[in-house]
Amino acid sequence: MADLTMSDSSSATEDSLFDRSFRTRWRVGFDRVVGWLLPLLFLVAILPILDLVGYISYRALPTLSFQVLTSTSLTRTDTLGVPILSTAEIMAFSTVLAVAFGLLGGVATAEFLSERAAGWVRMSANLLVGLPSVTLGYFGYFTFVLYFGWGLSFVAAVFTLAFFMTPYIFRTADLAFTSVPRHIREAAVGSGAAPHQYILRVATPIAFPQVLNGIFLAMAIGIGETAPIVLTTTLSTTLPSTLYSPVSFLTALIWENYAQSTATPAGRALVDLAFQAAFLLIVVVIALNVVVRVISHRFEKRLEGLYQ
Amino acid sequence: MNTVNSTPAPVPAGEGKVVPSPPSPPSETSRPVPAPRLRRLGRVLTIIPALVPTAFLVAIVLALFALSGFAVNISWSPFQVGVRWPENFGWGFFGSDWDPLAAPPGQPHWGVMVFIVGSFLTAVPALFLSMAIGLGLAIASTTYLPRSVTRWLDSFVDLLAGIPSVVYGIWAFVLIAPIFGGTLNPWLADHVGFIPGFGPPPGLAGGTGLPVTIFVLTLMSLPITTLLIRDSLRAIPTDLWESGLALGATRWEAVRRISLRHGSRGIVSAAFLGFGRAFGETVAVAMVLGVNAAYPINFYSSTGTIAATIFGLLDSAYGNSHFLAALSEMAIVLLAISLVVNLVGRRFISSIIAYEVPGI
Amino acid sequence: MNGAGPANGGAVMSVQHLGVWAGEHHILDDVTLDFAPHSLTAVVGPSGCGKTTFIRSLNRMVEVTPGLVVNGSVLYLGQNIYDRRVNPVHVRRRIGMVFQRPTVFPMTVFENAAFGLRLIHTDEEEIDRQVTGALIRAGLWDEVKDRLDRSALSLSGGQQQRLCIARALAVRPKVILLDEPTSALDPVATQRLEATMQRLKEDFVLILVTHNVGQAARVSDRIAFLHAGRLVEVGPTEEMLERPKDPLTAQFITGRSEQ
Repeated sequence: MADLTMSDSSSATEDSLFDRSFRTRWRVGFDRVVGWLLPLLFLVAILPILDLVGYISYRALPTLSFQVLTSTSLTRTDTLGVPILSTAEIMAFSTVLAVAFGLLGGVATAEFLSERAAGWVRMSANLLVGLPSVTLGYFGYFTFVLYFGWGLSFVAAVFTLAFFMTPYIFRTADLAFTSVPRHIREAAVGSGAAPHQYILRVATPIAFPQVLNGIFLAMAIGIGETAPIVLTTTLSTTLPSTLYSPVSFLTALIWENYAQSTATPAGRALVDLAFQAAFLLIVVVIALNVVVRVISHRFEKRLEGLYQ
Repeated sequence: MNTVNSTPAPVPAGEGKVVPSPPSPPSETSRPVPAPRLRRLGRVLTIIPALVPTAFLVAIVLALFALSGFAVNISWSPFQVGVRWPENFGWGFFGSDWDPLAAPPGQPHWGVMVFIVGSFLTAVPALFLSMAIGLGLAIASTTYLPRSVTRWLDSFVDLLAGIPSVVYGIWAFVLIAPIFGGTLNPWLADHVGFIPGFGPPPGLAGGTGLPVTIFVLTLMSLPITTLLIRDSLRAIPTDLWESGLALGATRWEAVRRISLRHGSRGIVSAAFLGFGRAFGETVAVAMVLGVNAAYPINFYSSTGTIAATIFGLLDSAYGNSHFLAALSEMAIVLLAISLVVNLVGRRFISSIIAYEVPGI
Repeated sequence: MNGAGPANGGAVMSVQHLGVWAGEHHILDDVTLDFAPHSLTAVVGPSGCGKTTFIRSLNRMVEVTPGLVVNGSVLYLGQNIYDRRVNPVHVRRRIGMVFQRPTVFPMTVFENAAFGLRLIHTDEEEIDRQVTGALIRAGLWDEVKDRLDRSALSLSGGQQQRLCIARALAVRPKVILLDEPTSALDPVATQRLEATMQRLKEDFVLILVTHNVGQAARVSDRIAFLHAGRLVEVGPTEEMLERPKDPLTAQFITGRSEQ
């Protein structure tokens, strides 16, 4: 066998661990520098967020008071009582609809569809999630406002927002039920369980935390959406009284007022209101995310025993 | 919640097979078998809800096409006039002349090229920036920082995704844009003005324009790119990475030569999905860029994107069937690009990514 | 009982009072062992005895796992690899490692073998020669000489593992660490790999971790038996197999020799 030896490197350098060659020092030094620089990039992400939360709090908190939050007086334009209630109302209805469609759809996909069909459906859901919000808002405008003839109204907004939230709930429900361990599923079948019995009694308790999380996350996303609301309804300062009345929504409020001229006191008040709405939205979104994490944590321990 | 990087284990369905009433042994099927009589009815009823997402998607496509009058002559109210493309719009649709409300004797024009270009002008730089930063963050997370630290830092970055667009918009409009307009843009115009397109005038003092828009879009796509690249790097088998180290490579060399190569699919995916996010962003862009139906004269000026324009102009289009049709055709273009970008982007990765981060 | 062999002057590697700790718990406790040139030492022991940790301490790979503390020293040609002035990058070039699974990179066969070389050299001809030499020594040359620019993933498991050996050889180490290199291979590939190891021990120092006493019997000159982090006994292969001095060793050897 040919013995190919390397051309005349001194074996002393070869064997020495204290290599001082330039190239090696460069390599090691570069790695060390990168090791400091790359983590610093996190500042690029963290500083803006801190600045955003900080600035919004700074603009919102000074004028924020209990009265501002709860007053539903029609004579004042600087209270959030109506927008908050209206937002809650829309969210409630939209969530119910989205859960109805999304949960049923997700469970049906996880349990009854063939893998091929499920693949298509899951891809559809993923595509829906990636769509621009204006596309869904515009669709809502055409379908509910024009085609169904509901006009710019409460119902149109509710349905459009529900459309928007459904794919999120669908995906997590699908994942939750598909993740039920196989041996549990087989144990249920082996004991003679019918599909509805299996789903209701066995799979649901296991999938429940994940589904609940999915719902909260969909709500966090839904409450932050602007286009589905603005494009399907007119905005007012009163609570929606009928199905077809105009509504108020926190994000829409920000959209309406963010660029108001600050030359007049009225204008300034409106901009402050927008900041307060923004502050509330941040609080709600963070709160929902915390709730999701808490649920994940608590149920993680309970379900540990299943995954033998 | 952990990211799942694999599709769920396939479960065989008893399609079309006649399964005897006593349940099959668990090894053959793991879905419960209902009584034969109910099965057919039950099957239909249960499959219908599953088709919801596909139905939604189809509905959206149909609606946009219908409203634009493409191949359909709509003459029911609220349209007084059936609109039919391309007769009404002609090929000028992809031209640059946008003037929808021209009063007679002028003709309205519907050239949307401005907005298409505007969308790309904002999304592409934002994509570059968010990919560069995302790569750096992902590498730092997986290679250079201890697990205890990355857990917190990664959560922080994911938090960026949870902030509503309109909140980004108001912060950027009120605080960031004036900084750009008052300080950064003039400074840039003075110092890098030798590059064509970056010279004076430095844009509005209020700061709305391309720079702040790109800034905001970068922040909004950052969680997506970071998360996707991070996941693909984490999926690399440990001993593969260690083999690199065992040959005398530094961490950086092992990442560059092995990990990035192995995780290249995830990185491509991150680029597509990140682009999709930036391209389709509506409200924040409408707030910091405005809707300006003109090509930007330089880097600091404003223009319009498809998404923001549709959003911003819908008010003006109420009752004007031609205008609505034009907007909905823009919406079709937007939808088509979104769908293609998302489809291609998801091809390279498992269909289940992090469901907790909105927009992915 | 320690394995102090010839005085340090003759040993290529010398482990001295090596201890590895995870918090309060010791994984390795006061191991002392020398490795002479042109030898193959098999490190055996029951699972959990610390043999993988031991071999990973010999090229500072143990540092890649967080939370482990190393004391004692490991001398390579008289220099302590754990000296604070020494960068692990230098150590790992001179002490190569082959892992349990074949860990070929997603590149061509040639690029895999050249990986370590490219970090150090830029001369293409040099790299070419070293790669060829390494592939020949690993016993892989004839099988891949026409497929050098094909993806390494197209090779069989046994070929991939030999490529990993070639990759390690290319940077011209003096010591090669093998951590159960045949555990993912079929019997035929295992046999070929064992033949390769026997050939290589003529020019290198090989340290082989294996759970297979039969394999140790076939290829090694010396067997070192670890139990619960301690080096219980070490000695020439036939002696260890037939006349082990320690009852623990006897228990292990006879219990596993059916494999």
